Amino acid sequence: MNLFLFGLVLLIGLMLPPVANLMESVMIIHMHMQMPMLVIAGFFMGQFFQRRFPHFFSKYNQEGIPGILLFIIIMGYWMLPRTMDEALTVNSVELFKFISLPFLAGVPLRDSWKKLSKNRKNYTIGFFTVIFSGMGWLYIQANDQLCNNYLVVDQMILGWGFITMAICMVIYLVYTAVVDPSLYE
Amino acid sequence: MQSAVKATSFNQKTNQILGISQEDARISKSYLSIAFIALLLGGFLGLLQGLNRAGVLQLPPWLNYYQVLTAHGILLVVVLSAFFTIGYFYAGLSHTLGGLLPKVRKMAWIGFWMKIFGFVLVVIPILKNEASVMYTFYPPMAASPMFYFGLVFIVLGIWMLSLGAFTQVANWRKNHKGQHLPILAFFATGVFVLLVGATAFVAVEVLFMIIPWTLGWTDGINVLLARTLFWAFGHTAVNIWYLTAVSAWYVIVPKIIGGNRWNDLLTRMVVIPLVIMNITGGFHHQIIDPGISESIKYMHVFMSLAIGFPSLMTAYAMFRVFERTARAKGGKGLVGWYKKMPWGDVRFLSPFIAMVAFIPAGAGGIAQSTNQLDQVVHNTMWVVGHFHITLGMSVIMTFFGISYWLVPYLSKRVLTSGMNRLGVIQTAIWTLGMVIMAISMHIVGLFGSPRRTSFTTYGNFAETLGWNPYMVAVGIGASLLLVAVILQVYAVFNLMFFAPKGVTEFPIAEEEAGAAKTPYWTERWGIWVVLMLLVVSMAYVLPIADMIMNAPPGSPPFKTW
Ligand code: HEM
Ligand SMILES: [Cu+2]
Repeated sequence: MNLFLFGLVLLIGLMLPPVANLMESVMIIHMHMQMPMLVIAGFFMGQFFQRRFPHFFSKYNQEGIPGILLFIIIMGYWMLPRTMDEALTVNSVELFKFISLPFLAGVPLRDSWKKLSKNRKNYTIGFFTVIFSGMGWLYIQANDQLCNNYLVVDQMILGWGFITMAICMVIYLVYTAVVDPSLYE
Repeated sequence: MQSAVKATSFNQKTNQILGISQEDARISKSYLSIAFIALLLGGFLGLLQGLNRAGVLQLPPWLNYYQVLTAHGILLVVVLSAFFTIGYFYAGLSHTLGGLLPKVRKMAWIGFWMKIFGFVLVVIPILKNEASVMYTFYPPMAASPMFYFGLVFIVLGIWMLSLGAFTQVANWRKNHKGQHLPILAFFATGVFVLLVGATAFVAVEVLFMIIPWTLGWTDGINVLLARTLFWAFGHTAVNIWYLTAVSAWYVIVPKIIGGNRWNDLLTRMVVIPLVIMNITGGFHHQIIDPGISESIKYMHVFMSLAIGFPSLMTAYAMFRVFERTARAKGGKGLVGWYKKMPWGDVRFLSPFIAMVAFIPAGAGGIAQSTNQLDQVVHNTMWVVGHFHITLGMSVIMTFFGISYWLVPYLSKRVLTSGMNRLGVIQTAIWTLGMVIMAISMHIVGLFGSPRRTSFTTYGNFAETLGWNPYMVAVGIGASLLLVAVILQVYAVFNLMFFAPKGVTEFPIAEEEAGAAKTPYWTERWGIWVVLMLLVVSMAYVLPIADMIMNAPPGSPPFKTW
């Protein structure tokens, strides 16, 4: 319950117009800080829904695959330049962002992550590594302005953000591949 | 495998009974000797500065104030702190992990000589007045290239030592599957991870920006980018020394007062966030820098304050440990328990004063993180006062307290009661000197007196003449401090070579009886490192990309002195 409240307060805090405006004024902060924090808010609230609807989760998300797929779809949707732009221009899309990221990405992530096998977890991270590298490349080399609301230079900065995150994930994957925990634990 | 386990635990036992092996002791003793020689030289230069700024001493024409200041900064923040930290943690690794592996010892020596070699390269141009760029070496001030090559070797030495520490830890963990790293080794791991992370930034700055530029291969340098890389390092370095002091507060001090350590899980939960979130704090040294947008500065306030949280936890933890221990010894009343503390024991007194100093030090730090307040004190003597209480008291006085048992432990001698008394006197003089010096620096800084400025009367301008009495107080503090420095250095070398032979223990406090078991996830250092990298990339990509893509034309090198 405490975690639920924490997540809810975080969500409301992020939705407050001054906070949202500040974060959305910079492209990379919009995508790499506001959006992940929305997911985290949902992640915190997840337990509440798991307790409330245990049957629903065990029936439809038995091995965690549907949940992680939903997570991937929602995340993928919000990585498109077009959708970010729309969130800033169309109010209903902004509202959809504040609902979809916590409840359709954060909550399923919470339920799925523990259920996934180690390999599946690593595949998920590997998948995001590829997507992030691709998006990074796209944003860095695109000479056209992809969003009405952001400048080309903002796009390039976001691209570098994607690349550095991809590098971090690669380091993690190499670490899990190279270091055998059974030697230490 | 089984036999290896037996062998190491056998080593651990012999270590505990016979004390540290000769070879391991020699490593730590070498590091500590360098550290305290640096204290002596640096303290002497500090006195010159203090007397100069008091208006009592005019430096001879062949000695430039900025040359002295450069040497003082480097000797004390780069040499003393780093060498002490390494000597202390290598002794700790040796003691808690059953003796250093032969290859780790070799790495420690290679690192030692790399650092010394680098340091010699740094000192030569300073002596020749070709590198009076101060320890921050901000471009576009340019020193002779030799200075920067020296820095590269110092960094390489640090990497070698970190690698040695990681090797030692990994080996221990292989032989002790499923066990928690002993707490002091856990702190050491965090410190060496941060050392690698911090020095990576300065290595990029020096290797890819400054060296090509001083050699004339490139004709301009991106000043803002260089400063940003420097502070990612400089800030973290300072926090590393602080984390080292904190390790002694959590692990050593409770044992000295005869108590138990604070909760193990929470102790580790102080180390982990300090490692993950530290580097990004560097931006709070650039609050006044132009070229960083306001929203970035605003967000970084949170990053700085986030590091404050573990510090507050530490303050709470320490007082809880003190109170518990004192009450167990029969201390009574709301505050009456404090009488039961071993005030006459320098091994407790010195770190205790260090902790108390951290209260104003932390408060000052929070004030400086605030843009509007920082506008008032930035680059004034206030800042100098601030880091003389953080480093010169909180950190260094903890190190002094450690030296009174660590050095005899290494040299297999004992701290006599006479030497303890000397230590108490030394602590008192140092405290008095630092308090006088730091308070007057803070006040005169509020009035606007700039730092890094040799004595001047500003053409006898009335307003600035009012600063002089405070500067005289700085000079008085500096004189007291030099007396304390001499006593401290005398104590260290006496304990190392002349004190009576005997057995000194390495004081490590135990957990409270019946403490809950710490969960294993605290040991997943790979994950903490990846999280640290993620936080760093989230914090730095935007400002750095902005600095590079919107860069002004670069600056040529300048020699301003
Ligand atoms: C013997 C005791 C000490 C005395 C008398 C002393 C005195 C001073 C003085 C007068 C300044 C110059 C202020 C200015 O002109 O800007 C200074 C700067 C400085 N001190 Fe100390 N100090 C002492 C110990 C320490 C210790 C123990 C440390 C750190 C571990 C330290 C670190 C520094 C640093 C980093 C600077 C700034 C250098 C710069 O601005 O480039 N000092 N000190
Ligand atoms: Cu800092």
